[in-house]
Amino acid sequence: MSAVTDSRKKVLEAIHAATGAAAAGSATRNAAATAGTAAGAHADIPRGYVRRGDMTVSARHERFIERLREYDAEVVECEPEGLAAAIATQLAASGRHRFVAPPGIPAEWYVDAAWKIEGFECTFDHGLETREIEQAEGVITGCFCGVADSGTIVLHHGPAEGRRVITLLPDWHLCVVRLSQVVETLPEYFDRCQVSGVRGQGEETLPKLVTWISGPSATADIEMTRIKGVHGPRFLHVILVNDEEAGT
Amino acid sequence: MSAASEHPILDPALAPPFPVGALPMLRNVQLRKNVAHAMDVIQAKRARLVAEKTDWQALRTAAAAIKDETLAHLGEYLEQFEERCTAAGGHVHWAADAAEARRIILELLRKEKADEVIKIKTMTAAEIQLNPFLEAAGVRAYETDLAEIILQLGKGEPSHIVVPALHVNRSQVREIFARTMGIKDLPDDPKALTAAARNYLRQKFLEVPTAISGANFLVAETGGVTVVESEGNGRMCLTLPKTMITLAGIEKVVPRFADLEVMLQLLARSATGERMNPYTSLWTGVTKGDGPQNFHVVLLDNGRSSILGRKTERQTLRCIRCAACMNTCPVYRQTGGHAYGSVYPGPIGAILTPQLYELRHAQSLPFASSLCGACYEVCPVKINIPEILIDLRARVTDQERHTLGKFFDPMYVGLRAANVIFSRAWLFHAAQWMGRLGAKLVTRRDGWIHALPSVGAKWTQTRDLRGLPKQTFHAWWAERGTASQQVGGSASQRVGDAASDPTLSPKSGEKGGTTSREAR
Amino acid sequence: MRASLFITCYNDTLFPETGRAVVRLLERLGVEVEFRAAQTCCGQMHANTGFRGEAFSQAKRLVRLYADAEAVVIPSSSCVAMMRDQYPGLFEELGNENLREQFRALVPRLWELSEFLIDKLGVEDVGAYFPHRVTYHASCHGLRALHLGDRPFRLLNKVRGLELAPLANLDRCCGFGGTFSVKNGDVSSAMLTVKLEDVLATRAEFCTALDNSCLMHLGGAMHRQYAPMKTIHMAQILASTQAEALG
Repeated sequence: MSAVTDSRKKVLEAIHAATGAAAAGSATRNAAATAGTAAGAHADIPRGYVRRGDMTVSARHERFIERLREYDAEVVECEPEGLAAAIATQLAASGRHRFVAPPGIPAEWYVDAAWKIEGFECTFDHGLETREIEQAEGVITGCFCGVADSGTIVLHHGPAEGRRVITLLPDWHLCVVRLSQVVETLPEYFDRCQVSGVRGQGEETLPKLVTWISGPSATADIEMTRIKGVHGPRFLHVILVNDEEAGT
Repeated sequence: MSAASEHPILDPALAPPFPVGALPMLRNVQLRKNVAHAMDVIQAKRARLVAEKTDWQALRTAAAAIKDETLAHLGEYLEQFEERCTAAGGHVHWAADAAEARRIILELLRKEKADEVIKIKTMTAAEIQLNPFLEAAGVRAYETDLAEIILQLGKGEPSHIVVPALHVNRSQVREIFARTMGIKDLPDDPKALTAAARNYLRQKFLEVPTAISGANFLVAETGGVTVVESEGNGRMCLTLPKTMITLAGIEKVVPRFADLEVMLQLLARSATGERMNPYTSLWTGVTKGDGPQNFHVVLLDNGRSSILGRKTERQTLRCIRCAACMNTCPVYRQTGGHAYGSVYPGPIGAILTPQLYELRHAQSLPFASSLCGACYEVCPVKINIPEILIDLRARVTDQERHTLGKFFDPMYVGLRAANVIFSRAWLFHAAQWMGRLGAKLVTRRDGWIHALPSVGAKWTQTRDLRGLPKQTFHAWWAERGTASQQVGGSASQRVGDAASDPTLSPKSGEKGGTTSREAR
Repeated sequence: MRASLFITCYNDTLFPETGRAVVRLLERLGVEVEFRAAQTCCGQMHANTGFRGEAFSQAKRLVRLYADAEAVVIPSSSCVAMMRDQYPGLFEELGNENLREQFRALVPRLWELSEFLIDKLGVEDVGAYFPHRVTYHASCHGLRALHLGDRPFRLLNKVRGLELAPLANLDRCCGFGGTFSVKNGDVSSAMLTVKLEDVLATRAEFCTALDNSCLMHLGGAMHRQYAPMKTIHMAQILASTQAEALG
């Protein structure tokens, strides 16, 4: 519609007049190419902040657990071979029976017979209706990364993490985090994103969907009193799999 | 007075000037108590985390630089965002002003035949007064943030941009919820009230197919949109509906995905005193099978491009809406947000609001500050708010000073006179002498002035003023000296501008400059 | 060492005793003080109230007046802040290159009083005697514009007989803000009340600062409220000796 293009032109012209940039943009211009002219200046941004942390593996491990527990997440640790049993234990202890899980959960997570808890039901999300997910009492997922500094768990919603809705509607979330997935600082997470895709294809490999979780939902809107669990899971359980050598 | 505090007008075109809007707030003891408490809580949390973050200053420097780079090439980055977002299945619209943004959003809603919409809190939507517009057009907008629900159901107005209902206490919330949600025996403890809101909203989240959000950041490199929140209502609105409309100011864009590593470290610490807020979501266009399949971004100018063009004021657009400035502001602490007559209160509001209206409205806001500089110290993107306030004061004054109303305004008259007086030492001294005479009329026996007329009355409302001393410093100095040599060497040595500036030469009879050696 | 005293317009008129104290103090420290009679105002009041052209003409006059001074000492943080923070912009916008150069050359020779004592003269113990309980108020310009840091405390700690009572919420503005105190008189008064709570809670006899602007605001309320406290500029404390008490 011409009205739409007119506003676009008007706004871009106003911006260009204000920034002293060259000709006003048009709908057909290759924006990626012109943004490249800004790339040089972008590279000049001073980045004196901490990018890489200097904690040892065990210190990072400790910090991650500490920060998770600060916002009342339950954290248990296990060795790689004990993961299935740890999952089973958590599920049994939850007192819940109906679970949902992403379709890409690794097979070894449910190979253990301990999964056969009485009344236990786990539905894999192959395009479940919202109503069905709303019936689930808990969800089990993996994650992409953990950030020790803030106790953050990052989901990229891949096959082992699932669609966004399944970690949102159930009240109880069990998240499996491998220690090798845990970084110390937030910039280190962003570095991991850069290398996670096919080499040479830059931006296309950056994640399309991300959820950074740093605690159960909370509000302090009423008299600054912190209340946990407004929307989204009120209970977060983390199994930390010790798949790294504890170095110095 | 109470009427003004119950129904504050947050439309800068209609709100009273700040001194008038502030007065009923100052008399609202409950408000001042709530505000001070909220500010103390957040400030303490923020201070602790900032102290622990050894690279805090480096982060601020980087964030300011990222924003400045973005603003310097804003057109390019916005076009890049548009291209990427569109390639990922989103639709990007451009709105030159508030009216246009409202129209675009309504058209999109009409296309979906929506008569209801769920909203994530967005100051930008409040800025364009979206809710009343939609209401009038037959579309009910349901707020889903707890604070926004409190305000919507209680027909109140936000007083802070992060904790909008901080001026409301628990019994007021209880009353509002009990009445509008029809709940009997609702306790007033925050936990029960929050649970009531959670239940109230659950069905809405599951059923309403259209949502409106704002955006904290738009990523040019990928076309991604980021929303930072605490409660989870954002995630609900972002994943369950079929249609999502995101309204974002044009200044929200950042160049690269990785630039978020700076912004996200600063935002939660500044806004709520947390290392990271509970939920941050990023989505890019449309993802098959996950979330809304119909996604629109409305880019809003509404005065931002005019701010962009000004050298001193451009940094206003770095703002990431953390509210750290108002959490530390000693003026805001006493008045709360409603006094500012804008959805953007506090220090950022004092500079942003008048500029969005290109100084046609809210001209009193740049003066609503003692220029203490606390805001600048805490701003994560280093906006030099005092510098901008002073510049806006000059622009407002330039606009007003020749109007009939202001030309004869006592303060304007006084300042013009003062300038003349300061231009010559003898004029200054004569004025001091006259001032002393005049002061004698109002000086009491205790040597102090308890009441002054005109502009001075605002001083003596709460403060005495010591009577003018019999002898000024310069007169004392002159008395103590015997020589009347001109400073800077003898007359023959006077060089440069001191010689060429006639205002610097003494009038006859006036003692020149002297040194302490000469004076004894 | 010769220092030129810029007394400031409001000190000259309202607080000449502060100027006399500065002279006493500096002379005691062996500084030769000069006073240029042509001085009036730095332009801050005009600049902060939006009268930029007027502020510029005062700034220009000041820079020309002190162009050849060895050092300029100013017992007022806000005036120094005006010169350092706002003069560059004013001269950039309204001045010529000659003036800008003159100002740039003058900047390193501008000193707030406590800066002059500690950084230029290198003294903390000025030989003062002031046997009273005192609390120090950190004016915003001194704190945030000049970054005076602990200079005032280093000076006060060496004053014999002085008992320093710490002030809670030290970094909170008193509410003066120049013309803000009358343009937004109600808010200014509310901020004053809250600040005064902290000041009076120190149970000091004197509240001191490096700016008489804040002090006349605080002191004016103390007087109005019959409070058991007075204000005094730090120069007067530092000038006070056993021989000549200036309390």
